[in-house]
Amino acid sequence: MSNVIVNRVKEFLKRFPPFTFLSEASLQLVAKGVEVHYFAKGEFLFKQGDPAQNCFFVLKEGSVHLTETQDGQTKVREVCDEGDVFGVLALLGKRPYILNAVAEEESLVYAIPVSIFEIILEENSRVSLYFAAGFASGQVVVRTDLSQSQKARGIFMEASKDTGLLIFTGQSDLNFSKDVVTCQQGITIIEAVKKMSTMGVGSIVVTDAQEHPMGIITDKDLRNRLIAQNMPYETPVEEIMTSPVMTMTRDAGFSALYLTMIKNRLHHLIFTEDGTAQSKVIGILSDHDILLSQGNSPAVLINALMKTWDVKEMAKVRDSAERLLRYYLENELSMDFVASIISEINDIIIKRAVQMAKKKHDADYPEASKVKFCFLSLGSEGREEQLLRTDLDNAMVFADVPEAQLKEVKEYMLLISQEVIEILLICGFQSCPGDMMANNPKWCQPLSEWKKYFSEWILQPNQLAIMHSTIFFDFRPIYGYKPLAEEMTQHIYNEIADKTIFLNFLAKNALLNPAPLGFFRNFIVEKSGEHRDKFDIKLRAMMPLADIARLLVLSHRVVGINNTFKRFEKLSELEPNYRELFLEAGKAYEILMRMRAIEGLQSNNSGRFISPEGMGKIQRQLLKNAFAPIDELQKIIRVRFQLDYFTN
Amino acid sequence: MGWLDFFGKKESAKAGFVKDYEALFVKGIPRMRPISQLNFIVLDTETTGLQPKTDYILSFGAVKVRGYTISVQSALEIYLNAPLQNRESMKVHEIMHSHEAFSLQDFAKDMLGFIGTDILVGHHIGFDIAMLEKALKPFGLKKLLNPLIDTKDLAVRLEMGPNYDTRYGKPGEFSLDELCGRYHISLDDRHTAAGDAFLTAQLLLKLLKIAEQKGIQDYGALMR
Repeated sequence: MSNVIVNRVKEFLKRFPPFTFLSEASLQLVAKGVEVHYFAKGEFLFKQGDPAQNCFFVLKEGSVHLTETQDGQTKVREVCDEGDVFGVLALLGKRPYILNAVAEEESLVYAIPVSIFEIILEENSRVSLYFAAGFASGQVVVRTDLSQSQKARGIFMEASKDTGLLIFTGQSDLNFSKDVVTCQQGITIIEAVKKMSTMGVGSIVVTDAQEHPMGIITDKDLRNRLIAQNMPYETPVEEIMTSPVMTMTRDAGFSALYLTMIKNRLHHLIFTEDGTAQSKVIGILSDHDILLSQGNSPAVLINALMKTWDVKEMAKVRDSAERLLRYYLENELSMDFVASIISEINDIIIKRAVQMAKKKHDADYPEASKVKFCFLSLGSEGREEQLLRTDLDNAMVFADVPEAQLKEVKEYMLLISQEVIEILLICGFQSCPGDMMANNPKWCQPLSEWKKYFSEWILQPNQLAIMHSTIFFDFRPIYGYKPLAEEMTQHIYNEIADKTIFLNFLAKNALLNPAPLGFFRNFIVEKSGEHRDKFDIKLRAMMPLADIARLLVLSHRVVGINNTFKRFEKLSELEPNYRELFLEAGKAYEILMRMRAIEGLQSNNSGRFISPEGMGKIQRQLLKNAFAPIDELQKIIRVRFQLDYFTN
Repeated sequence: MGWLDFFGKKESAKAGFVKDYEALFVKGIPRMRPISQLNFIVLDTETTGLQPKTDYILSFGAVKVRGYTISVQSALEIYLNAPLQNRESMKVHEIMHSHEAFSLQDFAKDMLGFIGTDILVGHHIGFDIAMLEKALKPFGLKKLLNPLIDTKDLAVRLEMGPNYDTRYGKPGEFSLDELCGRYHISLDDRHTAAGDAFLTAQLLLKLLKIAEQKGIQDYGALMR
């Protein structure tokens, strides 16, 4: 902390209302929290429609114009001078900005975090009245006029209730068409088009004689497959239809429907009587229906991501995804659904990052850029369990090339990886402290090297090898040539076939992490350091479960299932006598993920350290219950892998 | 005392925190990292004089800059305890009495922890670095490993081009006072370490924006 600097900020602020009303102590608190931003002429501080930032602004020097864009025309609504406060309305109403703020000349701006100011609003009624006055009179810039403050308070209180977050609320919101426009196979395109035209629809479902769905034709198909191909209008419909179609029952849960559409990039989903393609068509759901029923939805975000090539825009979308996550967590949506959505968004960002990197560098590497590669996510991201933007873990595998070419290819692959990492960092992900990232030359290798790595870890398991196994065995291909990743999976499968010693080591590792509860069923908390008296939910609860799931799945020689709760689900099928235990463990893992994400969002960090003191009684009990399966599973493993006789 | 010490080991043993600091520098900053993603520490030292050999640091001030933003919260301001033999000269500077003074060891530890691997920025940074390295020598640190940016050199490069020789210009043309005047940065708290660091940080923000407009957009181009 520097008193000189804080004093400087304080001296400036206290010349202007509402800061004039603050006590010395409150002003000190505000001044400490200030961030000084600099904007060059023409730069935007925020744009109309942007979600509210978590701070408001005081102009230190320069000039900022607040402008409004309407029907393509931009008009200046307000001119801010030194000491003017702006960007408050959006903040108090928690709604998007209604104006643009643009630096008219180079400007220094103090940004004041709302979290600090909220404390002051609560304790100082004059300050809240001051803001309320501006709020009620529709003032955009808060200035030195206190005349209307008295009556405004009630309005201010009302306005802050609205959270303004528009996401779907349930199945009832979904409007799908029950009157599906269909035609039978065999008829000509021109007949089908006439039917579409009279019914005023953009798609038609092709059925067989029993009215079972066979395919679908959309406006786009007419353009791409008929007219552009110069086909006659008398072509039978089945020649240009998209087939087969995805079908489901109408009462399938909303999240299942939704996920299917997002994952498969479907524009249409067809409802049939029994959910299969061998029954009658009873309804159709289009992605448009979903877009209409939701404002800020994953589909909208994914759509925005697919459309942009601008890194800053991508970062914005990823921030919105975090708001979505918060909403999902608050509304207790199933963890499976939430994790799938967030992983999907992360995957699209990575894919786009690779495409951008290739666009930038391929011209310089005409030969190397032809080599096939696959970008892999590892660790929790690989397991599709990363909800918060915690550490990046990823790797790069590329096809084997002749020795002479290797140097250049490696250089190219590293360059691409580095570019991808840079983009991900801008999108708010954190760098991996252990450097398990594709831009590390060690983890950017041709297939043969990766096979060597895996063989080495499996054949000579030592502590480091086991540590690597726990991260790298959970890889998942994200972008590029997937057969490379499949070959890695196959290689692991072959290597572990009769190497039980490796599994023993892995088992030992799974029991390594300290137990979550002490002898008196109290939480074991950190004894010293930054996280003193806090509970390490990752190390003590989540990692043991993830480790156990991986070990047991591998011991059954199941490869390709990476997700921890899906692994437990699989295990419950493979070992029916422990079915209950495995299902419970999967559920426990979901609960832990949820708790960690909520903690992380609240404290704006990785959520790894939870304070048991700060939790309610029910939550504490819930957490303790989630530990029960860990203990039992560890006992099973100790016996099964004979760890009591196994020392190294 | 080990028997090896008998042969007159000149170097001081490395303190744990120095080892921790040095271990951070396994990898450089990638050249393609955009300026908005870089971490800067803008620093200034107030000293007893201008000779790194004989003078020493009285106070140290620094702020963090990232994404064209200065965080007030992050600012660090440390006043140092004078070395014993120079206690007399301390009486000249009134700086000592109003603040809690740090021992050299506490300062060294906090300072290294604060700067990490960030890019160090200062006006005539060479001098500050020489002073800091001298102060850290007793703890086994030979050299600060961070990348360095001198706001004076950056301003010269941006205003006059990279090949300009300041010896032919007006004297003091690129002093902190002159530059702040030119870039409309109000001069207060001049000649306190934290105050100067804060001024220099504002200057850095403006220079970086100009650099960006001239096509200097990433770490590689900035450090050249």
